[in-house]
Amino acid sequence: MAAVAVCWALRAARQVLPSPCPRQVRSYYVDWRMLRDVKRRKTAYEYADERLRINAIRKNAILPKELQEVADKEIAALPRDSCPVRIRNRCVLTSRPRGVKRRWRLSRIVFRHFADHAQMSGIQRAMW
Amino acid sequence: KDKSSASKDSTPGGAAKRQEDGAETSKQKLLDVIGGMKVEVSYRKKLQQLKASENKKQAMNKLEGPDSEGSVPQGITEDTQRGKPLNPELVKAASAVASSLPRNKKQTESELLAQLRRHEETTDKQKKGGTINIRNVISEMTIKKKSPAQRGVRISGRISLQLDEDGQRLRRERSSAQSVDSKRSLKVGKRLNIFTKASTEPEHALKTVSSPTIWDLEFAKEVAAVTAQPPRNGFEEMIQWTKEGILWEFPIDNEVGMEDDAEFHEHIFLEKHLEGFPKEGPIRHFMELVICGLSKNPYLSVKQKVEHIEWFQNYFEEKKELLQEI
Repeated sequence: MAAVAVCWALRAARQVLPSPCPRQVRSYYVDWRMLRDVKRRKTAYEYADERLRINAIRKNAILPKELQEVADKEIAALPRDSCPVRIRNRCVLTSRPRGVKRRWRLSRIVFRHFADHAQMSGIQRAMW
Repeated sequence: KDKSSASKDSTPGGAAKRQEDGAETSKQKLLDVIGGMKVEVSYRKKLQQLKASENKKQAMNKLEGPDSEGSVPQGITEDTQRGKPLNPELVKAASAVASSLPRNKKQTESELLAQLRRHEETTDKQKKGGTINIRNVISEMTIKKKSPAQRGVRISGRISLQLDEDGQRLRRERSSAQSVDSKRSLKVGKRLNIFTKASTEPEHALKTVSSPTIWDLEFAKEVAAVTAQPPRNGFEEMIQWTKEGILWEFPIDNEVGMEDDAEFHEHIFLEKHLEGFPKEGPIRHFMELVICGLSKNPYLSVKQKVEHIEWFQNYFEEKKELLQEI
């Protein structure tokens, strides 16, 4: 019985402690703007379905216009952070709002830094 | 010889009489006696003596009860050990015994013959060497001398912590390994059916859920930290990464994490969910468009699609008053 409990706890512990190899662990967001962006992404995810449905009611020619006006008011009443338009794709490491390449989620400066140190997989200096 | 066979048959006769009396225990005793009449290949004499003493006791118990045909107990034991009489004689003797008994001659005769037949079968089987008896299993158990090599193997098996993902699987592996090591494996042989299959699994589950103390967790963390050696080569590194989820499993399964149990017709034919809506009018038209779009969507599960439709239903229910004004 004790052995089984220990084994179960072992399994849980292994999920908590993934590996002994030291990796860079970030426990804080880079700055407050990044944190606000994170909050916006979370609320946008939560309200995504509702927004989709209410917009489906608004953006069609079949339903009566009164219904669509009511839907307009409803969607305006949702929290402001729930709209996906307010999300800004910032750099993941420096929180730079501009010059961010989407594929790597990094700003151009960080990207160049890592690429020159050969830490970006498959990236090579262009020469032709 | 007739006397001996007659006296031998008198015990089953006496038992048969008691069967008619209606006590089940006597039948059991009879069957035990007949079963005990078998002769084992190994420990022959010992078991014979055992059986002799048993038969003696049982015969004494039977015969000292209600008065039956006078038969000497010692004579019976001798007969049981000697007894492999010929068939026609048996039949004659059985009929004679049945006729001698006061009630239900035919029934007793048939029962006697059946039991004798069974006895013959078992003796034949025994001659061939395939006895199925509990005594067999006990006879198989011998005191075995463990060779030092085997002992070493077993100890090493216990020490090596094969940390598996499932703690229960770990235990089974160990036990199976031990069963493989020993020559007399645990899974071969007749089931004794001594122990009832108690449901131990839910007990274990309850215990593990109710007692993951902090000390257990700490100990588990320590053990994990100590035993997790850094990978010796690239293969072990890749194994570690696969376990953590960083690396995918090869060959790549396109449907990992996607458990779509629903058939295609549940995705496409969504009209049955449209029953709560009015049959005509703009709302119906709108919902049919919605359903058309959902049926073409491969990224949503059936549950999500149904949720969409239900939300629309609720929404239009709430707006019914407004709609009726229009």
